[in-house]
Amino acid sequence: MAAAAAGSGTPREEEGPGGEVAASQPQAPTSGPGARLSRLPLARVKALVKADPDVTLAGQEAIFVLARAAELFVETIAKDAYCCAQQGKRKTLQRRDLDNAIEAVDEFAFLEGTLD
Amino acid sequence: MAERPEDLNLPNAVITRIIKEALPDGVNISKEARSAISRAASVFVLYATSCANNFAMKGKRKTLNASDVLSAMEEMEFQRFITPLKEALEAYRREQKGKKEASEQKKRDKDKKTDSEEQDRSRDEDNDEDEEKLEEEEQNEEEEVDN
Repeated sequence: MAAAAAGSGTPREEEGPGGEVAASQPQAPTSGPGARLSRLPLARVKALVKADPDVTLAGQEAIFVLARAAELFVETIAKDAYCCAQQGKRKTLQRRDLDNAIEAVDEFAFLEGTLD
Repeated sequence: MAERPEDLNLPNAVITRIIKEALPDGVNISKEARSAISRAASVFVLYATSCANNFAMKGKRKTLNASDVLSAMEEMEFQRFITPLKEALEAYRREQKGKKEASEQKKRDKDKKTDSEEQDRSRDEDNDEDEEKLEEEEQNEEEEVDN
């Protein structure tokens, strides 16, 4: 009958491999349940932790939580900085957006004077 | 200039990816802003480490643990991180446990391969009787794990 485009349910093997396969199996490389618990390499985070002279030892779980917290922090500060850029109708985050965010948000006060 | 621990930066590519995924499509970030965020992340880790260490010392422990870090988040006024961090920690613990059990299971499977296949078939047939068997097997597994 009419050569309809890929159906919603039944896979048509008659059309061969050239048909749309995207329906049932998303092969996007980014998604992976439980595959990426932390993107930041734990070894680098551990190096930062060891840089503190007062720290004797840090457990693996502590390093992991710190890595994950750092990721959340990056997301948070990027979003806050973006709000400033948006107000200026710009689509590129600039350094000054970051400085504004640091001044505006109390939680970022610890960053003042550290980024220069 | 003296060596500062902030020189220990986190990988640029990863930072960039995290930023891009946090922002809407089409939004860019200048190099200066990105490297500033990277440095900020390092400072964050150092500050969090220092806070966490205080909690560890209060508990008279020499090793930082996960709850020290969570307490540090609260102290730093990043309470909103605590719930997602707890969830991530649970997933991490499950993954670690899974890895450990998987390697132990491989050793056991090599020894008991044929035996387990027969037991699986009998489980499907008689569930009631096999509950007792399962309890015994669990006890056996626990003994092996302790070793």
